[in-house]
Order: sequence, then C-alpha cells, then structure tokens
Amino acid sequence: MDGDEKARVSPDGRILCPCCGGRMNRHAEKIDRGADPARADADLDGVVAEFHTCPACKYVLERAARP
Amino acid sequence: MSAQPAPSEKPLFIPVILGTPRQGRYSEHVARFVVGEMTRTPGVETQLVDVRELPMPVTGAGEDIKDPGFSELCMRADAFILVAPEYNHGYPGLLKHVLDTNLKEYIHKAVGICGVSAGGFGGTRVIQNMLPVMRELGLVTIFWDGNFSGVRKLFSPDGALLDSSYPRRIEKFVKELVWMAKTLRYGRENIALEP
Repeated sequence: MDGDEKARVSPDGRILCPCCGGRMNRHAEKIDRGADPARADADLDGVVAEFHTCPACKYVLERAARP
Repeated sequence: MSAQPAPSEKPLFIPVILGTPRQGRYSEHVARFVVGEMTRTPGVETQLVDVRELPMPVTGAGEDIKDPGFSELCMRADAFILVAPEYNHGYPGLLKHVLDTNLKEYIHKAVGICGVSAGGFGGTRVIQNMLPVMRELGLVTIFWDGNFSGVRKLFSPDGALLDSSYPRRIEKFVKELVWMAKTLRYGRENIALEP
C-alpha cells in the first residue's frame, strides 16, 4: 500500500484534503499485511489502512488507522 | 431528518484501458469501438489508455513502480472499462502488472470488463479470471459484460465493426456501469464507515 499520508484534521474529526482543504469522507479500510509487523494489529494480523475521498477534488488519502 | 446532499452533477470520467501490448491486436478495434460508444453517452467523459504506452518497468512491481500520470488518471476516474483479450484462458500479464501499480486510486469504484476472443465464448474465461483480481484491488464489478467473440471476423482490417448487434449490447453494459459509477461516487463522497 501507499503509506501513511499526513493531513490536518477538522475539530469534528474529519480529515482535510491536502490538495484543496475540502472535508474528506472516510469510506474504506483494508488490512495491509505487508506493513511493518511492529505496527501490526495483533488481532487483525496487519496494519489497518483507511481511505478518505475528497468530494471537491477527488483526491484519495491513505493513512494508517489511529487507535 | 438531516438533508442529504444532491448527487454530484459533475460528469463521470470512465477511461477505457486497452489491456494488451501485442502487435496486431484485435482488442484495439474493440477498445476504440467502446470509446466511441462512451463518447456518445451523456454525462460521461472517457479516454483510451493503452498499456503499451505506459512506462512500466518489468524489474519491479506494485506501487513501487507507480507511474504518476497513470495514477493521477486512476484517481480522477469514477469507473473503469477493461478491454481484455483471452490468452490461453487467462489475462495478459502486462495488464495485471499495470493494474497492480495502484490501490487507493481504485477503491469503491466500478469496473466493467470487455472480454475479447478469437473463439465463440466472447472472452468469458478471461472475465471470470479477472473477477477475483478486481475484488482485491477494491474495484466493484458489474453484472453486465462486454463479450466480443470471433474478433478476427468482427471488425474489418481498418477497424470498422461488422456486426450491428454490438452497439445495443454495449449500451446495456454502459448503462449498468454508469449506474454503478454514480452510486459508488455518491458513497465515496458522502457515506462514511461507521466509527
């Protein structure tokens, strides 16, 4: 997977698009079994990646899920 | 009850990926025909993407060899059409190699597959073989396919379609794909995973 992109977060917890500042929508998660085992969720056997789409500019952001 | 946002009025962008680099490929006629049909579909923008033209090294794989231009196109896409010839019942290796270079760009987007074969089964076996790959890439398949049988006799040497039944068949395929693309775009933009 593509990694852990950095982004600002709105006061209500929405990711702000790094391209246009729009409020992104978190619509998917996937287990990354190739990620660093030290960061893996023991129950899920990998790192949970989450995916956010920006309705304004279509950018998709990927980041590791926060506990 | 909270107001729902209106469905996006932006045109859908649905590129057509020609999945084989071989010389003399008949699939190019199929891909150009499908692009023509998509161009006539209201509210849809399209573009032919030829895997032969993508700069993909074969000594690496996956997101390590992402091509920025192709990834940007996939990010912009709302859905995809894959034109896949059936080679020994499977899909072209280069098509898989190209598709594997992205992931986040595909998630919760629709895909329709046009199978191409010299024989009479319209690429059904390549389509079936691609379905689990589509799922793993996060793409959402539709339940219409494009089936192009006997492709060597289906087009003239200069690419003119010789069977008048195909435009109607592809119209049905496109309608289903557009519906799925709109539905998934609404979902990607407005419906969040439960916390």
